[in-house]
Order: sequence, then structure tokens, then C-alpha cells
Amino acid sequence: MCLLALSLSIPAHGLGIEDLEAKLVRKPPVVTPFVDFRFSHVLKAAARSSGTLEYREDEALVRTVTSPFREQAEVMGDEVRIRRGERPERRVSLQRIPQLRVLLGSFRAMLDGQVGRLSQDFNVVLAEQAHGWTLTLRPLDAKLAKYLAHIEVHGSADRPRCLEVVEPDGDATLTFLDTAPDERISTRPALEKLCRGATPENAGHER
Amino acid sequence: MSRRSGLLLLAWCVVLGAGFFAVQGRLTISADLRLFMPTPHTEAQRLLVGSIGESPASRLELLAIEGSEPHELARISKALVTALESAREFEWAVNGGQAGLAIEERLLPYRYLITDSFDRQPLDQAQLASALTERAQDMSSPLAGMLEEWLPRDPTLETLHLMSQWQPPKEPRRIEDVWFSADGRRALLVVETRAAAFDPDGQTQALDRLRSEFARARGASSAVLDVSGSGYFSSLIKNRTQREATLFGTAATVALVLLMWFAYRQIRFALLGALPLLSAGLAGLAAVGMMFESVHGITLAFGFTLIGVAQDYPMHLFSHLRVHQHPAETARGVWPPLRTGVASTCIAYLAFLESGVTGLAQLACLTVTGLAVAAVTTRYLLPQVIGSVTRDSAQSAWLDRLNLRIDRLPRPFALLAIIPVACAAALLMSQQPFWQNDLSRLTPVPVELLRKDAVLRQELATPDLRYLLVVTGRDEQDVLEHLESLDAALAGAVREGSIGSYDHPARYLPSVARQLRRQTALPDDAGLRNLLAAASEGQPFDVTLFAPFVADVVHARALPPLMSADLAGTPLALRVSSALFARDGRWHGIVSFYGVRDAAALEQSLHAIPGATFLDLKAASEELIAAQRAHILRCLELAALLLVAVIWLALRKVSRVVRVLMPMALTTLLIVAALRVSGVSLNLFHLISLVLAAGLGLDYALFFEHAADDADEQRRTLHALLVCSLSTLLVFALLAFSTVPVLQAIGVTVSLGVLGNFLLALLLARERRRS
Repeated sequence: MCLLALSLSIPAHGLGIEDLEAKLVRKPPVVTPFVDFRFSHVLKAAARSSGTLEYREDEALVRTVTSPFREQAEVMGDEVRIRRGERPERRVSLQRIPQLRVLLGSFRAMLDGQVGRLSQDFNVVLAEQAHGWTLTLRPLDAKLAKYLAHIEVHGSADRPRCLEVVEPDGDATLTFLDTAPDERISTRPALEKLCRGATPENAGHER
Repeated sequence: MSRRSGLLLLAWCVVLGAGFFAVQGRLTISADLRLFMPTPHTEAQRLLVGSIGESPASRLELLAIEGSEPHELARISKALVTALESAREFEWAVNGGQAGLAIEERLLPYRYLITDSFDRQPLDQAQLASALTERAQDMSSPLAGMLEEWLPRDPTLETLHLMSQWQPPKEPRRIEDVWFSADGRRALLVVETRAAAFDPDGQTQALDRLRSEFARARGASSAVLDVSGSGYFSSLIKNRTQREATLFGTAATVALVLLMWFAYRQIRFALLGALPLLSAGLAGLAAVGMMFESVHGITLAFGFTLIGVAQDYPMHLFSHLRVHQHPAETARGVWPPLRTGVASTCIAYLAFLESGVTGLAQLACLTVTGLAVAAVTTRYLLPQVIGSVTRDSAQSAWLDRLNLRIDRLPRPFALLAIIPVACAAALLMSQQPFWQNDLSRLTPVPVELLRKDAVLRQELATPDLRYLLVVTGRDEQDVLEHLESLDAALAGAVREGSIGSYDHPARYLPSVARQLRRQTALPDDAGLRNLLAAASEGQPFDVTLFAPFVADVVHARALPPLMSADLAGTPLALRVSSALFARDGRWHGIVSFYGVRDAAALEQSLHAIPGATFLDLKAASEELIAAQRAHILRCLELAALLLVAVIWLALRKVSRVVRVLMPMALTTLLIVAALRVSGVSLNLFHLISLVLAAGLGLDYALFFEHAADDADEQRRTLHALLVCSLSTLLVFALLAFSTVPVLQAIGVTVSLGVLGNFLLALLLARERRRS
């Protein structure tokens, strides 16, 4: 009910999906620095990594990690190829990593300016806040919902700022784009707040 | 018709009917093509023949779905696999969508006995530490989602390691996680039928199920399904042969009845003429049923074609009937040439009895018995049931005119020289190999289908079909250990580039000895916990996370070694059982190769290994066929000598013998030359057809020669031979239009033979009437 109210409220605030679509569209090649935090039930603490995300002209998505180790993951079509250091390349079909496939799909849709298309697979809700907007995607398909609780994209104006991917078991990944959070911030609540748009000062007390 | 002949006719029919039911119940009809393959002599040949039709690989059907856009094809492919997985006609169905060779849950702890990861360096602190470092990095990589669930149970990722090792080295292209052809236009699948390849009924059932499931999966789309594989071929051949045999059989029967009516103007003759033929068929079947366990479908179809020429025997009798002569008297008159002809034809077919090919021996048995029975019934039974004769074939104005005209034709004895020279030239000039040695070409499968099959096999990256390495041992373990010892040499061949990769059952099922070695090298419960504690220092994982890992290793230490029986019902079972099997009390293991680039180098690197045989299946099969043919030709030579002897005994004069043999010899030459000029390489079925044609030629010549210079007799003989050759030509010309290559080969060869033999016998064997 609440979601419905939110989605209904969008036109009133003036920012529609079409407007956002137009703002988010990017022509390849695009390179954006990122910082990732992985919160997993198998990890004692968040795993932080950083590098660049690239949308290449040949439509490949490339994620290059430069810290704390070096790795390059290249997504072409249905396959992800991973090279890490001297190790032989690993190739995995995206069908085997449904979470990643969904994430990449929505990512691509945003870059291509086709956010509307996402409503085929997701309940898409766009909400406007004082400091920006949040696009929330909840899978419609029960099979997909097994892997993914929701994706939230937080941004302001024409820039997505942070991606929040939450899995049903509570594991989550936060991806900060363009801006890197202070290295001293490492707890999940603090990083989540930051991702959702709080200024570092506001989040500061949770350091 | 007298009361006596009426009773006799009735008795004959009753015996035929009873015989039909007796034979029908006892006969087992087989579709095993191996019945038509030569008897193997060497180990390689035995494996070759054995592997055809028996191995699980031969039960594979390759499927291609095309005719729609890729998304739709992928959807149909997935729906079809789901449907076939629960169909009882199929063992399994794959389209690439599966994660590969997954290890069943109950077998998972065995991974520590199967994996080679800890052979060089045991599972120690260093190995664990490096694995945990890797996993920590994985948690920040796109693979995190996939690996997280495995991490507690399998921190060294042995399951993934084995799955990637077992993956075919080159997989077809994938679209939407489904196999596709390289051009993306055909979705590819592989299924295994439960029915054996040479069980055409089972295969037909499976195909019907496949087609109906496909129709359901396809829905409203325009996609079409293409099937290929041994099983599909055997079903196709059976149905096609049956359909065409019925079609041609019906057409030929109608035409024959019309011809008989036209020739003898009484339908009675058409019906009576069928009696020796039916007797021949039944006697032949009974003989085969007694001498062999099962009869091949081809033997039947083919045998009846060969026996069909026995239709000539009653025609000879009918054409020679005279108004004031008892038919028995007439029969006595035509008996000498008929007897000689039948005897010599039977001798020729007897050569095939000794061919070493079960199917041919059956064919010979069927034909010889059939022809002999047809001749004997024509001589002794048929005349007793004919009844009164009202017509003499000699009393025909047009026949007389024709006879005179033929008499005026020149006797082209020059042909005796011209034909052999021309044929020799044609034979020498032809580029085509004289004999067809390619085993795949000997099957009755249309070449185009075989070509399509090869394309599909290449797309699906199935292992090389030509080269194999076979390891032989006293038992399963012996073979597995031997296979393991080959790994160094095989890896060398991969490194040197002579092959892309290889596969053998010990990669899935290591020998007990190797499993025990790995088992003793695994740390115990306390030891592993200590190692883990030390290794996870400084890592982002809590040591208690790995309790399932510790449990699996501890379990693996106590497990009885994995045996092939444990694999039953898993996808691994297929991989192992198709390449590890017992035959004739010995165990064999097969190493298959992918991407063979330098067969000679490969053979060189493997030939010195004792107990292992490098097999070139193509060479082995060609050798086998060549040896078989050489043997059959020797038998035929012997038969030819015997045949000349029989004719000599019958005619006792060199000039007569030459006159009788010439048309047949020249026609045989002509047929061979004609086939060669039109680019046909000869195979076994051509050889049999040549014998059939030669038998006909001999009959024609014997009768023409026998008629000597009596005008009425000449007219009657001409009448008989016109009817005979026309009827035979009719039947075989029809066969020449068959779409089954074997039937077509026979049809063309014999049609040519009838024409050549009739004309040459007419010109060379017939004596010119002295005016």
C-alpha cells in the first residue's frame, strides 16, 4: 500500500521514470570509479574493494579491481570472464550467477536509458527525497526473488550515486560510484546511510 | 481340370497356408546392421564391430531445432529437455543448460578421492591458506554470489575443479544458456534413447515421443526439428524400406498379373504361376529359420527380391505348353536348360554362404533353398495342376514376324572383342575408386543424412570418431590403473599439440589403488581443524564456518573406494560405462581424443605402450571390408569354376558352352563399366546384384541355345524369354527408383543386366534358323 502511494506520488513531484531515464542514459565508453562493500554471512567483516566500472564501446561491462588486489571481470553477452593476477582466466556463464545477471541487466538498462523496460521483471518504484531520488526494484518473479530481495539505486540529479543490492538472506553489496566513502567507515548501518544519501557528517556518529 | 489335379492344387495351397503360419510364428526379425558386417579377426576389428550399435554412444541422437529466432529456439530447447527428462523412452536429454557433470549430493565427499588437486602437495596449511586467500578475494568479485554457498563445505573448490575438468574441452556456442550452432541459427541438443540403436521399433517409439513433445514445446512457432543418429537411421531405414517394399511390391504384382494375362490370356496362369514362387519363399524362410537365430530385415527384403526371379520358371513352362501335349511332357522338355540354369545360379549364391558375413549367409541360404524349391515344384507339381491347354504360344502371327526379323539381324560376333576392349578402357579411365571401402557408405543410410550427421557432431564437439586408444586388462581395476599410467604420455601429446585434449573413464572413476593413496594422505579430524585454524589467521572467515568441510574430509577418509556400481543413475555413469566395459572375458577402457591434429605423431607417442592399442577406426574398417571382399571374390571365383563345370556337364561341347557363357560374361563387364563411368564405387550389394544378373543371363542363353533350330520351339522360347525379361525388368526398374540406396543399387544393376543379357543372348546364344 505504501509502495503504491509512493509510486502514485511521483508525478505530483514532477520526476517521472521517463525523466530519470533521460537523465541516466550514457553513451559508451563510460568509465566510473567505484568502491564496493560486500556484507556476507560467511565474512567476519565487510569486504571492501575498489577500482573502475567501464561501459565499453563494444557494449561489454568491465569491472576492474585495483585494491586490495588486482582483478578484471569482463561481461560479454552471457558470459563473465575473470582474470586475477597470474591465474588462468575463469569463464562462467551468467546463468549460474543469477544475482549478478539481474544486477547487470538493470545496470545496462539504466545506461541505455531504458529504465521503463525493467518493469517487465521488477516492481519499479521511484521516490524523490530532499537530497535526490531512489529507484527501487523488487523482483516480480518468485524464482528471481530467491536470489534477490531488492535493488536500490540512490542518486541525485542525473547521477546515480550508490547501488544497494540486498539478498533475501540479508547479505548485501553496496557500490559507491564516483565518490569513495571515508576509509574509516566500515559498519554496515553507517555505510548504508551514506549510500542512501546521508552526508558523511550525519553518518559520522556511527563510525 | 480333373478331380486329381483339383485335389492336388487344394493340397498344395493347404501346405502353403500351414507353412506360412508355422514360419511366421518362429521367425525373429532383427534390424542389427552388424549381421551385414564382416566377421572381425583382429582385436581392433572386434572392438570396431562391437562398438557399433551396442555402446551407449550409439544410442545418442543429435537434435537441431531451427526455423525461428534464437530466443524462441532457446525457449523450445528448454521446454523440450524438461519434457524429455520425464519421458520413459529417454535416458536423458541435455541442451547445455545444465551446469555440466554435477556430482550427486550423496557422492560429494568422494570428491577428495577423485580430485588430483592434492596429489603433488597434500592438503596442508599452505594449500589451505592460499585457498582461503583466494576465497577472500572471490568475495569481492562478481563470483561472490555463486561461491558463497559452496564456501563452508568446499573452500578449495574441488567440486568446481572437477566439473571444469570434466567439461568437454570445446563446447558449442551458447545463447540464453542453451547450445547453438556456430551461426546461431540452430539450437542443439543431445538425447540418449533407452532402446538400442538396432531396435528400430523401440527407436520409432522414441522418435514418435520426441516429435510429439517437440510439437507441444513448439506451440505456435514455425520451428522445425531435425534428428540424427544411429537409432534414427535404423528406424528411418526400416520404415522407408518397408514402405517402399510394400509400394514397389504392390506395383510389381499388379504389373506382373497384367503381363501374365497379356501373355497367356488367362488369369489362371497368373495365379498358378505364383505357386512355385510362394513355395520358394516359404521354403527359404523355413531354411533360414532353422539355420539361424534371427533373420535380418534386409535379408528378407533382399532375399525375396532375389527369389523373385523364380517367377521365370513357371513362365518357361507356360510359354512352352502345347495344345495336344500333357503339361508334364512339356515340363520334361524345358527341364534340361532350367535345371542347368538353376543349378549354376545356386552355385553362385552358395559362394555367399561362405562369405563370413551372417547376413549374406542368410541371404544365400534363403535364395538357394527358394530357387531349388521353385524349380522342383515347377517341374513336378505345377504341370499336374495346370489342367487342359487351349493355346500354343508358337501360334502367334506377331511373334512369328518378330522371330523372323530377329533372324535377319546380323550376328555381331565382333562384340566379343569390342565390348571387353571398350569396357577395359572405361574401367582404366575412371577416377573413382573401384571398390567402396568406407564402412559408413555401406550402410543403407542416404549419404546426405550422413553428411548432416557429421556437421551436427562437429557442432556438438563430440570426440573424434576415427581415432581411439584401447586399453585391455584382466579386470576393471587393471584397466583403470593402466589408464592412469597413460596420463603422462597423453598430457605430453596435448602439450605437443597433436591432440586438443583427451578423455577416459579413470578421470571420473580413479582406480581403487589411487583412491586409497589419496585417502591416506587426507588429514584427520583434529589435524584438519588445526590446519584450518592456522590457515584462517588473518583471513576474513570465522574458522567455525568450515565445519561442513571438515565433516566431508573426515567422511572421505572413512569411505569405501568409489566403484562403478556407485555411479548408477548419475550422469557420470554414462561417461564411465561407455568407455569401460567387459567383452569376451577381458576388460577394455577407451581413451577418446578431441581435436586430433596430428594422428601420426599421436600414434608415435602411444604405440610403444604395452597393453594399449591405438585404433584408427577408418583404417580398421576399410581393412575389414577389403578383407571381406577379397574373401567373397575368392569364393565367387571358385563358384565361377564350378558353374562352368556344371554347364560343361550339361552341354558337353565347347562351342555350346561358349555361346551360353558369352552373353552373361559380356553383360557383367558392361554393367561394371557402366557403373564405373557413372562414378559409382562398387559395394557388396552391387556384387550380389551382379550374381543375380549373371544367373538371369545364363537362363536366357541356356533357353535360347536349347531351342536350337526348331521354328515353333524358337517362337515359344522367344515368347517365354520376352515374358521373363519383361517381368524382371519391370520389377527391378521400379527398384531403381527407390530412395533406399541399397535397393536402388540393386535395381539399377539388375535392370542393366536384364537388358544386356537378353539382347546379347538373343544375338549370340540363339542359333540362326537354317532356311
